[in-house]
Amino acid sequence: MANRIQKSVPMMMILPGLALAIAIIGYPIFDLGWTSMHDVSRFGKLTGFNGGENFAEVFVDPLFWESLWRTGIWTVAVVGGTLAISMPVAMILNDDFHGRGVARVIIMLPWAISLTMTAVVWRWALNGRAGLLNATLMNAGIIDQPIEWLATASTAFVVEILVGILVSIPFTTTILLGGLSSMPQDAYEAAVVDGASGWHQFRYITLPLMKPFINIAIVLNVIYVFNSLPIIWVMTEGGPANGTDILVTYLYKLAFRFGQLGKAAAISLVMFFVLLAFTMLYVALVSRNDRDDAAPEEEVKE
Amino acid sequence: MTTKLTRSLIYWALLSPLMVVILFPFGVMFVTAVRPREELFVYPPTWGFSEFRWENFSEMWVKTNFGGALLNSLYVSVAATVVALVLSIPAAYAMSRYRFAGKGAYRTFLLMTQMMSPIVLVLGLFRLMMSLGLVNDLNSLVLTYAAFNMAFTIWMLQSYFNSIPRDLEEAAWMDGASHLTSLVRIFLPLAVPAMVVTAIFTFINSWNEFVLALTMMRSSEDFTLPVQIYAQVAGRYQVEWHHVMAATVLATVPVAIMFSWLQRYLIRGMALGAVK
Repeated sequence: MANRIQKSVPMMMILPGLALAIAIIGYPIFDLGWTSMHDVSRFGKLTGFNGGENFAEVFVDPLFWESLWRTGIWTVAVVGGTLAISMPVAMILNDDFHGRGVARVIIMLPWAISLTMTAVVWRWALNGRAGLLNATLMNAGIIDQPIEWLATASTAFVVEILVGILVSIPFTTTILLGGLSSMPQDAYEAAVVDGASGWHQFRYITLPLMKPFINIAIVLNVIYVFNSLPIIWVMTEGGPANGTDILVTYLYKLAFRFGQLGKAAAISLVMFFVLLAFTMLYVALVSRNDRDDAAPEEEVKE
Repeated sequence: MTTKLTRSLIYWALLSPLMVVILFPFGVMFVTAVRPREELFVYPPTWGFSEFRWENFSEMWVKTNFGGALLNSLYVSVAATVVALVLSIPAAYAMSRYRFAGKGAYRTFLLMTQMMSPIVLVLGLFRLMMSLGLVNDLNSLVLTYAAFNMAFTIWMLQSYFNSIPRDLEEAAWMDGASHLTSLVRIFLPLAVPAMVVTAIFTFINSWNEFVLALTMMRSSEDFTLPVQIYAQVAGRYQVEWHHVMAATVLATVPVAIMFSWLQRYLIRGMALGAVK
């Protein structure tokens, strides 16, 4: 009997949190699945089962495909750009130099600010009439007329990608720094003795050893960026003329502006499965790292 | 062999373009927040302005109902942090100290919930809160923020708990203390720093959240700060940019300072929790 109680102790400890997670994160998934198979009034009342009609409607909607395509560009460009910048930044920050602490704080700064605030500030900084980006570029003699950065979709989207990269750098750099700091120093010392150049050290020692961290940085960033609403929503709301809509902004408009709840639920579900695929990939990567490390997990003896 | 000085100069030169871009929005924020209203739209646009107009802040406070939104944000962030921690501490303790059936599955479940984003679930969450009558109720945000942060808090706490030697607790058991007593008397006091750090990060996450707050809070007196500031910008013909920037300064600077001070702990937690 005492033993039974002993055994149930850890269960009792995880149960309350588990219950909240299931109610808040698990139940809505189920509800979305249910909603997506029904006709829904704009006030959220289910008015009848319609099978796959919502999905059929989504798949013939050109705006869905355009948003999907743009989501792809957005995700690949932001994640690729972020990684290309974060890798050298992490390598610099991992090295010892004067003012490293200050440099680290500045590089991490965008992480501390809510995406909404960052996007609001950039929306003003990019203002076509009085924005200070125009002021800076005009002072520097790079342009002689102010540019309406957010008025055309193609320019706006490029700017949004750049802001997306900027805010993703701190997180990515942090992950890569974690990897770099666990790098075995003797491998480099051996390489220096063998006369390997800096590039060769990077190509044949750093990159292979960093691969698990780079993989995790890619997968986590893909998940975050794919789901990121605030930057595009605050800067252009997916406009002008749906020209900067990605799936999340389109989904949000359908659900909370146009009241097309069935269709929005269907898109949510599609996104959920994409997300699930990436999450499985992440779980697989993490557990592979766990095995590679073969760190013996300490357990209490009962 | 380069000296540390030349290396430092090269590194700073390499980092400086990025730093300029990072600091640029902060410059924009401050310069706009303190300039007189008449100098917002001048041609050609310029960084310079005639005088510091500190009254912008007090004007903004009244005009944008900053105080109300601040209180809402504080309530939601503090309550969500408390709920998340109260539920995470025992879970993290169980993960750190016990072997139990389903531990692996629970770990995977945590990873999955960590990856789930509010935006994908936002419609389902809205319908859930409707049926619970919690739309326009700040507690809907408390519950959702707590739930979405819990995976992270459990990771963080577990990684710290693992570093607390269990001999102390075992010694207490030998002396006849129950598990509960040793937990409360010996373990928890040692874990206070970890809990503080985790709490602050949960607080910052909740403080910064936008999508759920935008969705669940339909009337302006319930807005949290990010939504309140967004509402000053979105769908308005005339935006009082000096007020908006003053509000962003007040809403972000304290949090940014707190974050900068604590970021090294985050690096540690990430290395142990998310990456490993």
